[in-house]
Amino acid sequence: MQVLLSGLATGSIYALVAIGFTLVWQAAQTVNFAQGEFVMLPAFFVLAGVSFFGLPLWAALLLGLVASIVVLGILFKKLIVEPILPHGGITLIIATMALGILLKESVKEFYSAEAQPFASLVQSAHVDVLGAVLSLQDLVNLAISLTIVVLLTLFLNRTRTGRCMQATAQNPAVAEILGVNVKRMILYTFIINAALAALASFLITPIYLAKFSNGETLGLIAFIAAIVGGFNQIRGALVGGLLIGVLDNLTAAYVTAEYRAALPLVLLIAIILLRPQGIMGTSEGRTV
Amino acid sequence: MNMPILSVRNIEKSFGGIRAVRDVSFDVQKGEILGLIGPNGSGKSTLFNCILGQLKPEKGEVEVQGRKVSGLRASQLNKLGVGRTFQQLSVFPKMSVLDNIILAGQEHHGSMLSRLFGPSDAGLTEAAERLISFFRLDHLRDTLAGSLSYGQQKLVDAAMAFMAGPSLVLLDEPAGGVNLTMLAHLKERLVAYNAEHGTTFVVIEHNMEFVMSLCTRVIVLAEGEVIAEGTPAEIRANPKVIDAYLGGGA
Repeated sequence: MQVLLSGLATGSIYALVAIGFTLVWQAAQTVNFAQGEFVMLPAFFVLAGVSFFGLPLWAALLLGLVASIVVLGILFKKLIVEPILPHGGITLIIATMALGILLKESVKEFYSAEAQPFASLVQSAHVDVLGAVLSLQDLVNLAISLTIVVLLTLFLNRTRTGRCMQATAQNPAVAEILGVNVKRMILYTFIINAALAALASFLITPIYLAKFSNGETLGLIAFIAAIVGGFNQIRGALVGGLLIGVLDNLTAAYVTAEYRAALPLVLLIAIILLRPQGIMGTSEGRTV
Repeated sequence: MNMPILSVRNIEKSFGGIRAVRDVSFDVQKGEILGLIGPNGSGKSTLFNCILGQLKPEKGEVEVQGRKVSGLRASQLNKLGVGRTFQQLSVFPKMSVLDNIILAGQEHHGSMLSRLFGPSDAGLTEAAERLISFFRLDHLRDTLAGSLSYGQQKLVDAAMAFMAGPSLVLLDEPAGGVNLTMLAHLKERLVAYNAEHGTTFVVIEHNMEFVMSLCTRVIVLAEGEVIAEGTPAEIRANPKVIDAYLGGGA
C-alpha cells in the first residue's frame, strides 16, 4: 500500500509533464524535447523571487507560475514554434533539443551546478493510511496532480474553448473555417502546457531539490509515459505516468533499486513492439 | 433587381505561366442554387478558392452582400454568413455527430467569457438536434463522426455548414464518393433546406446529373473562362458545353 501510493504520487507528477507532451503534439504535431527543462526552470523562477526579490513563498510561487506562462508558454510559441514550424516538424524538434540545452546551461551558469534547497508548502510529516505510513508531501502531490488532471479534462470536454481546442487538434483547417480562432486555441495549449510544467516543478522540486539537470530524467520518463499511455490521448498520458510511477516504486522495493532507471525503457520497448499506439492511444493515419 | 448575395468581378489567377482563371465575373441572387461546372483543369476549384479567400487572385474582387471580402480569413467569412462544405471529409472524427454540429455554430454565440468557460453545448443542443433530424441522422446523434460511412459524414458536413445560419453556402463537390441512394437523399435535403430557409447555394461539382437536377442556374467554365451560363436545360443543349466536355473543336 505504501509503495503503491508513493508510486502513484510520483507517477501523477510524471503524468502532468506527460500531458504537456500530448498537448503540444496535438497543437503543433511536434515533440517538445525541452519539456524536462520546462519543469526544471520554474523552480528557479521561484528561487529568484525568494532570494533576489525577497518575496514570501506563496508570492514567489505565483511569480514562478506567471513567469513560466510568459516564457515557456507565450514566448516559446511566438519565438520558437511559430517561426520554425513552417520549416517542418523535425526542424522544430531539433530546435527544442537546443532550447533544452540552452535552458539547462543558462541555469547552471546563473545558479551554479549545486542543488538548491526548495521550500515546500507542505510540512514534513507522515500520516497513517490504512496501516501504511505515507509522507504528507506524497499525498498532497497526488491530490493536487489528480485534481489538476480532472479540472483540465473537464475544461477540455465541458467548455466551449475546450471543444474548440480539441477541434483545432483534430482538424485545424476546418476549425478555422467554422469560425474558431485557431491561433488563439494553439496559444491556449502552450499556456496550459507551461502552467502544468510549473505546477509539476513546484510539486517535485521539494523532493529532488532544485538542480539544473533535473529535467534530464524527468523529461525522458514523461516522454516515455506519454508514449506508453498513448501519445494522442490526455488520459493515456495520465495512465502512462501513473503506471511508470508505480512500477518504478515496486521494482525498487521488491526487485532491485539498481535497475529502476532501466524500467521505463523496458516498458517503452515492450509497448512499441506490442501496442505501438500506446495503452489508451488510437492509431493515426497520415497522408504522405 | 436586388443586390446580389455574391458578386464575382473580373477574377484572374495564374500559376506560373498558366492562366487558371481568366476574367471571370458573375452574380448570384439570394435563394439561387448555382452550379459551377467544367471539365478537369477548367479552373473551377481555383475560382472557388479565390471566392473563399484561400487563394489571392491577381485581379478582381469578390463581394458578399455588397461588402468586399478579398483578403478576409476563412473564420471572418464564416462570421459574415458564408458557410462551406469540403471536397475532403471535414468532420471532427473523435467528436459525436451532435458535438460536431454544435461546434459549427458555437463561435457565433455568446461573449468572450462564455466562450472561455461557458458550457460546451453553448445552448445550441436543440438547434443542432433540429438539423440532425432534418438530415435524418437521429439514430447517429451520439455516434463518433469518424465511425460514420463516407456518405453519412457528407451529411454531417452539410449540417455543420448550416448550423451558423449562413445566407450563402459554397458546396465543394458534395457528390464526390457518395453512393446513389445517399446522393438522392443529400440532394433532396439541400433542395428542402433552400426552399425552407431561402439559403443560397453555389455548388462546384463533377457529377453533371447531380448539378442539373439540383441547380436553378449553371455556369460552365473551360480553360479558365466562362463559356456558357443558363438553366440546366439550356446548358444541356449548348454545343459549346458539349464540345468542352467531349474535347471537340468549337
